[in-house]
Amino acid sequence: MSFSAKDIQTYRRDEKSGHKTLDAEEREELVKTYLPSPSSRQRSSSRAKKQGSSRLGVRRFLKAQLYALLYLFVHAVFSVYIRIRIARHAVSNRLVAILKHHYNSPEYIARDVADLKKLPEHLSIILTLENAGKGDALEKLVNEASEVAAWCAAAGIPKLSVYERTGVLKRYMVQTHRSVSQRLKIWFGKHKAPPVALFARGAPPIRSHNREGLDLILVSEDDGREAMVDLTRVLTEMVQKEKIAAQDVTMDVIDNELSEAVMHEPDLLISFEPYVDLQGYPPWAVRLTEIHCALDNQGVGYQLFLQGLRKYSQATFKLGK
Amino acid sequence: MSDLYLSHIRNWFWKSPPAEWLMRGARELLIGTLRQGPIPKHVAFEMDGNRRFAKNHKIETIEGHHLGFEALARVLEICYKCGVKVVTVYAFSIENFNRPRGEVKGLMAMAKVKLEQLVQHGELLDRYGACIRVLGERDLIPEDVLPFVDRAVEMTKHNKDAVLNICFPYTSRAEMTTAIKATIDEFTSPSQPSKAPFSQTRITQKIRSNYSKQTEGLDSIKETTSDASPGSDVDDSMSSATALDPESPPLQSIAARPRRLPNPENITADTLNSHTYTAECPPLDIFIRTSNVTRLSDFMLWQCHQNTHIFFLKCFWPEFDLWHFVPVLLEWQWRQKKLLEKESPRK
Repeated sequence: MSFSAKDIQTYRRDEKSGHKTLDAEEREELVKTYLPSPSSRQRSSSRAKKQGSSRLGVRRFLKAQLYALLYLFVHAVFSVYIRIRIARHAVSNRLVAILKHHYNSPEYIARDVADLKKLPEHLSIILTLENAGKGDALEKLVNEASEVAAWCAAAGIPKLSVYERTGVLKRYMVQTHRSVSQRLKIWFGKHKAPPVALFARGAPPIRSHNREGLDLILVSEDDGREAMVDLTRVLTEMVQKEKIAAQDVTMDVIDNELSEAVMHEPDLLISFEPYVDLQGYPPWAVRLTEIHCALDNQGVGYQLFLQGLRKYSQATFKLGK
Repeated sequence: MSDLYLSHIRNWFWKSPPAEWLMRGARELLIGTLRQGPIPKHVAFEMDGNRRFAKNHKIETIEGHHLGFEALARVLEICYKCGVKVVTVYAFSIENFNRPRGEVKGLMAMAKVKLEQLVQHGELLDRYGACIRVLGERDLIPEDVLPFVDRAVEMTKHNKDAVLNICFPYTSRAEMTTAIKATIDEFTSPSQPSKAPFSQTRITQKIRSNYSKQTEGLDSIKETTSDASPGSDVDDSMSSATALDPESPPLQSIAARPRRLPNPENITADTLNSHTYTAECPPLDIFIRTSNVTRLSDFMLWQCHQNTHIFFLKCFWPEFDLWHFVPVLLEWQWRQKKLLEKESPRK
């Protein structure tokens, strides 16, 4: 409510009459009270201003001090609030995780998703490599990816893409594939485990069997803007060599290429960070993706995954209409 | 019954001059306080929820859009007072053309009226250095709105202090496609000779043409230029030869002298970025979407793919006000401080 009620009424009356009651100057008068003092370009040094400057200087100094103090105060209050919020979320998340644990059994997960109206066909997650990869960060990452893959297989989601900024998993594809397959065998039993096919751009796919199972796609920062830059280079060369004409390059062509080479659009994107930051995720793919992220979340948790699925099943896609 | 009276009394209280003066003072204080910390340079708003708000409050949809416009005015006041340099808003998507025709017509009429009004305040805009830019696919703007759009943009082109980007009609994929096509065009047109600072070819040609002007022989000019061009400086003269010499079809068919085109290997993400609509704007810091929808919906996909803090708020756009923006800004400032702390001990 920054504009006074009287001014709002005047404005609305003017608008209803087709802007005929107020003319340009009157409108400027209306707005002038809300505008800040003009920027430093307006250094119109009138003598009157200079004479009163000593008084204004003190006032300005005091005002600056007041603002600085208030700023510290507001941020102190906010820090306290945020820490309380983080603590509260941590405790409640831990409680819920214990109470509603899935016990590594696909049946629990299948039961949890049974009452959802729709499931995403393609789920994407953003994982973070901690500590710049030192220590057991890589192992932790592979573990997290395997966990999520197991949940997806249990819930019946056919495609999972794992985005990790540095793309370290792409260098260890065989080990990742082995870890995921083993996790699925633990969950489903040796013979009923769905096969996993691992894909990454620029590397041959690794499949366990030729049956339909879970498709796992590894995505990294290179598949974001850099992939589009590569595509532009290829298209430029083709146009330079006159294989195609410049006006043949349309959104469909680009969409087709990026979908085939990198990945199709995910339906749901889950970020396990405490706030939503895409960290270089491929910009073309994330157009209509539901993004789920829980405030102050720490680490990869099953409850967040379930919440994301619930949110997806309730979302309506109107496509602009 | 008493609820109604209470709400009436409350409304009367809040609308009374002393209460309004207090609120105004509190707002100024809050904005001045937040200015002491880091302020984002570029904020994007996806103004969602006008129709749902209208339905909830049982008013017409177009009224909801009008209230949305008032909310936009409020938000702009807050942002520019806080010191934000660029505000980008998603006014109309290319997909929104599929909406009922009455609504689309109403929105276009509103756009026309507001732009027309804005154009009358040129001096005020110049005083604050305010610049209006309309981003999007220009050929989809209806013909009656187009002249107002052009006038508003032309009038404020030279200002740089407070920029408002109105995305109308816009889809991010169309923007990225345009950027790719523009990059392709840039790299498939022969490099212009004028890009070289001083060109020996040009100098010799000028001197010779001065001589020939004295002797008044037009044919001799043509002969001298065609003689001068082959052997001269290597950098970009090959393309200048084909450009200047009108009798060059044999040159083009001979593969021995290919057209020197820029190398596509020089294309980088920055090249593509320079062809997007927001090329001159600082990188996006905060992205806010209202009405509890957690999608990006084809807005600013290229710009917010990293280092942008994305907020999804539950309120509807016509309700958006300082009290919703302050927590967003506080959290962003807090997060910036944390990121700085994380980076500094490493150094």
